[in-house]
Amino acid sequence: MKIYNKLVVLVLLMAGVSFNSCQSDFLDELPTEDIASGSVTGTTDNMFLVVNGMHRSLYVRYGSQGRSGESALMLQMENLGEDYVNTANANGWFIPTYKWNVHTSATSGDDLFPYRTYYRIIRNANTLILGADDAVGPIADKNAALGQALIYRGWAYFQMVQRYGKRYVPGSDNSQMGVPLRLDTGDEPIARASVEAVYAQIHKDLDEAIVALEGYVRPNKSHLDKSIAQGLKARIALVQGNYPMAAQFAEDARVGYTLMNADDYFNKFSDYSSSEWMWGSHIQEDQTDYFGNFGAYISRNYSSSNIRPNPKAISSKLYDLISPTDVRKSLFDPTGQHLNLPPGVSLLSTHSLKPYTSQKFIAEGNGDSRMDVPYMRVSEMYLIEAEAKANLGDPSAANVLAEMAVVRDPDYATTNTSGQALIDEILIQRRVELWGEGFRFYDLKRLNQPLDRNGANHTPSLAVVFDVPAGDSRWQWLIPQDALNANPLLEQNPL
Amino acid sequence: MKIKSYYIFMAFFLMCSVAIAQKMEINGSVVSDDGMPIVGASVILKGTATGAQTDFDGNFSLTAERNSTLVVSYLGYKTQEVTVTGAIIKVTLPEDASVLDEVVVTAYGTSAKSDFTGSATQIDSESIGKRSLTNVITALDGASAGVKVSTANGQPGSSPSIRVRGIGSINASSSPLIVVDGVEYVGSFSSINPNDIESLTVLKDAASTSLYGSRAANGVILITTKKGKKGSRTYSLEASTGIVTRGVSEYDRVNAEQYYPLMWEAMRNGLSMSGTTPEAQANIDATNGIFANLGTNPFNVPNDQIVLNDGTLNPAASLLYPDDLDWQAPLLRTGIRKNINFSFSGASENTDYYVSLGHLNEEGYVRKSDFERVTARVNINSQLEPWLKTGLNMAGATSTSNNANDGSSTGLANPFRVGRYIAPIYPVYLHDTSSGAYILDDSGDRIYDSGTNRIGSTSGRHVVQENLLNTDKDKNFSFNGRAYAELKFLNDFTFTFNAALDKRFINNESYDNPLVGDGATEGRAGRTGIVNTTVNYNQLLKYDKTFGRHSVGALLGHESFMTERNYSRGSKSGLIVDGNSELINFTTGLVTNSYTRKLAIEGYFSSMTYDFDKKYYLSASFRRDGSSRFSNDVRWGNFYSLGGAWRIDQEEFMNNVTWINTLKLRGSYGEVGNDNLGGYYVSQPLFSLGYNNMGEGGILASSAGNQELTWENNIQSDVALEFGFLNNRISGTLEYYHRKSNNLLFDVPLPVSAGLDDFPDNIGSMSNKGIEVDVNFGIVRTRDFNWKLNINASTLKNEITELPQEELINGSKKLVVGGDIYSYWMRNWAGVDPADGAALYVVDPALQETGETDVRTKADGTMVTTNHNKALYGFAGSAIPDLFGAINSEFSYKNFDIGFTFTYQLGGETYDSNYASLMSSGASYGSTLHADIVNRWQKPGDITNVPRLDVNQSSAFNASSDRWLVKSDYIALRQMSFGYNFKELADAIGLTRARLYVNGENLFQVNAIKGLETGENFNGTNSNRFTPSRVVTLGVNVTF
Repeated sequence: MKIYNKLVVLVLLMAGVSFNSCQSDFLDELPTEDIASGSVTGTTDNMFLVVNGMHRSLYVRYGSQGRSGESALMLQMENLGEDYVNTANANGWFIPTYKWNVHTSATSGDDLFPYRTYYRIIRNANTLILGADDAVGPIADKNAALGQALIYRGWAYFQMVQRYGKRYVPGSDNSQMGVPLRLDTGDEPIARASVEAVYAQIHKDLDEAIVALEGYVRPNKSHLDKSIAQGLKARIALVQGNYPMAAQFAEDARVGYTLMNADDYFNKFSDYSSSEWMWGSHIQEDQTDYFGNFGAYISRNYSSSNIRPNPKAISSKLYDLISPTDVRKSLFDPTGQHLNLPPGVSLLSTHSLKPYTSQKFIAEGNGDSRMDVPYMRVSEMYLIEAEAKANLGDPSAANVLAEMAVVRDPDYATTNTSGQALIDEILIQRRVELWGEGFRFYDLKRLNQPLDRNGANHTPSLAVVFDVPAGDSRWQWLIPQDALNANPLLEQNPL
Repeated sequence: MKIKSYYIFMAFFLMCSVAIAQKMEINGSVVSDDGMPIVGASVILKGTATGAQTDFDGNFSLTAERNSTLVVSYLGYKTQEVTVTGAIIKVTLPEDASVLDEVVVTAYGTSAKSDFTGSATQIDSESIGKRSLTNVITALDGASAGVKVSTANGQPGSSPSIRVRGIGSINASSSPLIVVDGVEYVGSFSSINPNDIESLTVLKDAASTSLYGSRAANGVILITTKKGKKGSRTYSLEASTGIVTRGVSEYDRVNAEQYYPLMWEAMRNGLSMSGTTPEAQANIDATNGIFANLGTNPFNVPNDQIVLNDGTLNPAASLLYPDDLDWQAPLLRTGIRKNINFSFSGASENTDYYVSLGHLNEEGYVRKSDFERVTARVNINSQLEPWLKTGLNMAGATSTSNNANDGSSTGLANPFRVGRYIAPIYPVYLHDTSSGAYILDDSGDRIYDSGTNRIGSTSGRHVVQENLLNTDKDKNFSFNGRAYAELKFLNDFTFTFNAALDKRFINNESYDNPLVGDGATEGRAGRTGIVNTTVNYNQLLKYDKTFGRHSVGALLGHESFMTERNYSRGSKSGLIVDGNSELINFTTGLVTNSYTRKLAIEGYFSSMTYDFDKKYYLSASFRRDGSSRFSNDVRWGNFYSLGGAWRIDQEEFMNNVTWINTLKLRGSYGEVGNDNLGGYYVSQPLFSLGYNNMGEGGILASSAGNQELTWENNIQSDVALEFGFLNNRISGTLEYYHRKSNNLLFDVPLPVSAGLDDFPDNIGSMSNKGIEVDVNFGIVRTRDFNWKLNINASTLKNEITELPQEELINGSKKLVVGGDIYSYWMRNWAGVDPADGAALYVVDPALQETGETDVRTKADGTMVTTNHNKALYGFAGSAIPDLFGAINSEFSYKNFDIGFTFTYQLGGETYDSNYASLMSSGASYGSTLHADIVNRWQKPGDITNVPRLDVNQSSAFNASSDRWLVKSDYIALRQMSFGYNFKELADAIGLTRARLYVNGENLFQVNAIKGLETGENFNGTNSNRFTPSRVVTLGVNVTF
C-alpha cells in the first residue's frame, strides 16, 4: 500500500511537470522579427512603418552584391549608356550590363532585379493604398502616408514601363505591351497592360498624391512631398512628349529649391540636405550595405575591389564638350591623378589611376562607402522645363537653361536661343549635369537616339557593344524568365 | 597541461584496480561449439554484480567461492550456468539458433532484431571505435544500403549531409530526424564525443519511424550513448595522434610559361577574329599589349617582348621568382590531430555508471582552421526500488574553432577560390623587378604584394594575408541532459517519464583587418551570440504480456518538444588599437540586432505489437502531432504504420533444411510527416522588421503566409527478406521500398508582379523507390584467421508526379512531372566549328530566323548557333545515381586486424562548374586556365571540343551547357584501419585489452576529373569549398 502511495505521488508529479505543454497556447508561436500583415494598416502609425520601409527599400540589397536598391538600378542605366566608362573589369560587377548582356538575357538575375524590386515596392504601396480607409488616426497622417504610397507606385511603374515596355511614342496610341498593372495585393497571374494604360495609371496615382500631400511637411528628403509628385509628373510628361505639362510641372516642382553654388557642387555634392536636392537617401552607419552601396561603385575614394582597379570615367567625348570654366569639368580628371580633391579626401596607393575618372561622387572615407544617393535634384527641373519649352518654341526656354547653367559656369553665355540647336545644347547640359545619376539609358530611349560609344575612351574588350541603332529590339528589356515561368499570361518581348 | 592531468587521473584509477584484486582467482575460458574462443563474453557470479569479461583468447579470471554459480552469456549464444568446482573452468556456449537476436534501438524503446517488423541498420561502438572520427555522423557513410552521405567539408568537426532512401521533399527539409538518447537533437554533432557512442541506428521505413510521426518522413537516426555494464568494471584509455592533409588534389592548371602565350592568343583572337584588326596587326598589338592586360611581367625580358609575334614565349624569357607563384602553398599545411579519451564504467547490483572525458585538437590542412574540443559525460542509472528505476545522462562539450573562409564560393577572401583561379604569373610577395629577389622589410621578413599590378578581382586584395590577419572563430558550449524515472506496476505495466534539456551556447568572433580586404581601411569586427534551448518531455506507458504462445505489447505516449533560438549580434568598424578585436576597441557602430525564434510540437501516440509463437508478428502504431508552424485549425496531423513479419525459419517444415539458419519475410506500410519548410512561422502573413529608414521604424512585406498550410505526408511501403545460410556464413537483407511524398510543402513561385517571390502551399507529389541489398559473407572463420565481407547496394528512382505549375526551372535543373528532382536542364552543346573555333549550341527552332549571321549549319545538317541566347535547352541527365553503396571488409589474423570501407556510385552526373570556369575560353585577364586548354581550336581545320581563346567571347563560348556535365561514377576509400592487439603483453601486465592501430579517413576517390570532388552536393553541383581532408592517425587503445 505504501509503495503504491509513493507511486501515485510520483506519477502525478511527473504528469504535472510534463502536461504543462497541454496548455492551449503551447503551439501558438509568434515571430519577434515580424509583424502580422493584418495589422499594418490598422493605424496611421503603422502605415508610416510601411512608408519608412519603402524609403529604406531604396537602399537595401536584393540578393546579390550588385543589386543594392535604387542606386544599383541607376548604375544599370548608366552602364548601358555611352557617357559612363568602365576602365577595367575589376571584380566584374555591372560589366555584363555594360556589355548589354544583362537585359538581353531573360535568365539573367540582373534582368529580373528591377522587375522584382519595383513590384516589391508596389506591393507595399498597394497594401497602404487599399487599407488606408480603415486606418485609425489623424486624417492628415493618413493622407501623408497614402500620398507617399501613391508616389511610390506611380514612380515604380514609370521606371518599369520605360525598361520593359517598347518606347512611348508621342502622338500614337501606345497600345504596345507595357507591364502587368497590379493595383492590389493579389497573387494571381495578370497580363501586360498597354504602355498607354500604364502611363494613365501613373498619372492617376501622382494626381491623387498631389492632392493627398497638400500641406504635408516632411521631416527630411528621404520622404516624399508634393514637389516630388510634381517633379515626377514633369519627368513623365517629357517622356510622353507632353511639353506643356512637362514645363508646367517642372516649374511648379522647383518652387522652394535653389541650385548649389560651385563650391558645394565641387566639395559636397552628395549631401541630401543641400537646397538643390529634392529627393534622396541618406544612409546611417548601421544601415550601410558596405560593398553594395552606391559609393562602393561610383565614388572615387572608396577602397573596394570594384573601384580600385576600375574607377569610373566620363566619356572623353562628353568631357571635351564641357566648358573649361564649368565647375563640372573640374569633377573629371583627364590625367586621372586627382590632385585637386575636396578637403580631407585622399586616394590610396592601391587606387588605380585612369584617364577621365570622376570625383563627382565622394564616399565617407576610403573604408566607408556611404554617401547620399540622389533621386531628384532641382537642376533636372530646369533642364526639363528648358527642354519642354524649347520643343514648344517658347522664347523663354534659353533663359530657363541659362538660369541653371550660369550657376555651374560663371562664364556661361548662351549662343543658341531657339530651335534644334538649343535643344541639342540643353541635352548636352543634361548629360553633363546628370552624369552618374541613372538617366542615360532612359534618355536615349525616350529621344529615340542610337547608342554610340565610338571615338571615346571605351575599352573594346570591356564595352564590346559600341553601336545600337535607335529602335533596335534591345532597347526593350526582356521580361525575366522567372516572371514568365510563373505567369502564363505574360508575353515576352522580341528576342 | 590537459593531457598531463588525464594521465594523473588514469594513474589514480590504475591504483584502485590493483587494490581491489586481492582474492583467490579462478581461471577459465569460454568457447563456442566449434571450440573457437569467445571474446568479450560476460561471466557473472550469480546473485552479485561481480564478474568479468573474456579476453582475446576467451579467457577470464575472477574470484569466487567453491560451489558458487557463474552465469556466462554472449550475444548470439545461449546463456549457460556453471557451478564452480575447481580453479580452472571451461565453459562451452551453444550457438543460439537465432543469431539475429541483436538488440535494435527503436523509437521509444528497443527490440530484438528477430522480432522487429521494421527496417533498421545499426552501427555499434566496436566499429566506431576503430576510426578516428571527429564527427560521429561520418560513420554512417557506407554503413547502410539506401543511406547516402555527402562528405563533410575540410573544416575539422564539420558534419556531412544525409539522405535516407532518396530525396523526400522539393522545398522542405529532406534530412533525417536525429534523436540522441530518445530525444530529438537540435545541436551540432561535433559536440558529441564519438567515443561515447554505443550505437548509431538508422530507421528507414514507416514501421520503425512512425512513432516519431510528423518528423519521420526522411528517416530517423538514433544515437545511443554508452552506459555501464554489469559484471565488469572497465577503464578505457585511448590516445591517438595523426596528420591532416588535403584529401582532394587540385585541378591541373597551366604554368606561367604557358599562361602568357595563351592569353596573348586570347587577346589576338579578340582583335582579329571578334574584331576587325587584320591578323598580322593583331599579332603585333597583342605582343605589345598583353603586358598591360595582365599587369605583371614575371619574366626577365622587357614587357613588350614576353610573347613573340608568332605567339610563342620569348625563348630568352625565364621566370624571376618561379618559387613564389603558387597561392595555395602559403596557406596549406599538414595539420596535426591529437585525441585522448578516458572513460570508466561498470555497475554495482543496483546502479550502473559510465563516465568519460575527452580532449581533441585537430588542425585543418588550411592555416587558420582548427577545432579543439573537451567533452565530459556522466551516465548513471539506478534501480532505487524493485519497481522504480531512474537515471541521469549528462554531457558537456566545449569547443573552440577557427574557420577557414569558404562561406562564399565566389568570395574574394575565399582561399579555395582565389588559390584555384589566380593567374600563375602573380607573386605572393614583393620582388625586385630586375633581380627577382624578395624585398624584405626592416625585420627581414618578406612583404606581401598588395597587388596593384594584378588584373581582375585580386587587384588590391591578398587572400593569404587576409586569411592570416582575419579571424572567424567559434567558441561553443553544449549541455545535453537526459533524466528519467521508470515505474513498474501491476506486473506487466511500465510507466516512464523522460525529461531532456539541450542547451547550446555559440559565440562567434569575426574580425576583418584594416590593411587589406573587406575590413580595409578601418577594420571591423563582429560578435554573434546564439543560445539554443530545447526542452523535451515524454511520458510512456508500456504493457507487455505473454500468454502461452502469444506475446502482446502496447505503448501509450505523449511528447512535447520546444526549441528556441536566441540570437544577438553586434558589429563595429574603426579599429583603435591593433591586436584587439573586442568591440570596445572600435569607434563606429554598424549593426546591433537580436531575435528569438521558437518552435513547439506536441504529440500523442500509441503502438501495439503482437507475436504468435515467435513466428508471426504484427505491429501497428499511431501518432497525432500538432506543430506551431501551422495555424490552429490545421496544425494537427495523424500518422500511422502497420507492419508484419513471418519467421519462416521457425516453421516446422524448415527443421530439415539445415543450410538455412534464418529466413524472415517482413513488410510495412505507413504514413509519416514533414513540417519543415524552413522558417518557424511560414504559415503567417508577415511584414518584416529591420527596414528602418534612419531613425524611423520601417517594415516591408516579407511573406504571404498560408493559413491552410499543413503537413507534407510521406506514404512508405517496404518489403524485405532477411536471410542467413550455411551457418550464417552468408546473411543479409534484400529489400524493396517505395516512398510517396504527397501534399509537398512547396514554396510555390508567384508571378513576380505579386511583389513577393512565393507562397507556401501543399502542392505536388514525388516518389522515391529502390531496391536495397545488404549481404554479409563470413568467408573465413577459423581460430586464427577471420575474414568478413559486407557489400551493400541500393538503387534509387526519383520521380515527380505532380507540380504546382507545368515546369519549375531551378538553376541548372528543371522539374517536370515524370522527371526527377535533379534532372539537368541545359543548353545543348554542339561542339566547335572547325572553321573559326566558335562554340556551337543546337539552335532553338523557335528563336531561329532566316538570314541570321549567328545561325550555322553543321556538316551533319544540324542547325546550330554561336549565340548562347538562341540555344536550345533540353534535359541532359540527372544527378541521381543509378546504384550506390559500399564494400566493407574486416580481416583478422592472429593479433592483426585490417578493416576498410569503400563507397561507390554508378550513374548520375555532376555539373563541374569549377572545371567550366578553368576552361573559360573567354579567358578573363588575371584568371588561370585548366591544362586541358591545350586542346583548344587554334587554326582553321582543327577538330576539337574546346573553342578558340577569345577575350571577347566569354559569355558565348563559356555559357553553361551540357558540355560541363561529367559522370558521377566513383569509388572512394572512405576509411581503412590496421590494428595490432598485444594479447600476451596485455595479459602479462594485467590489461584486458591493448591495441595499437593506424586509421586513415578519406584516403582517395577515383572519379571523372582530377580536382573534382564527386558527391559534394546531392544535386550534383560543386563550388570552391573547403575540400575534405584526409586524416591518418596512429593510436593506442587500452582497456583494463
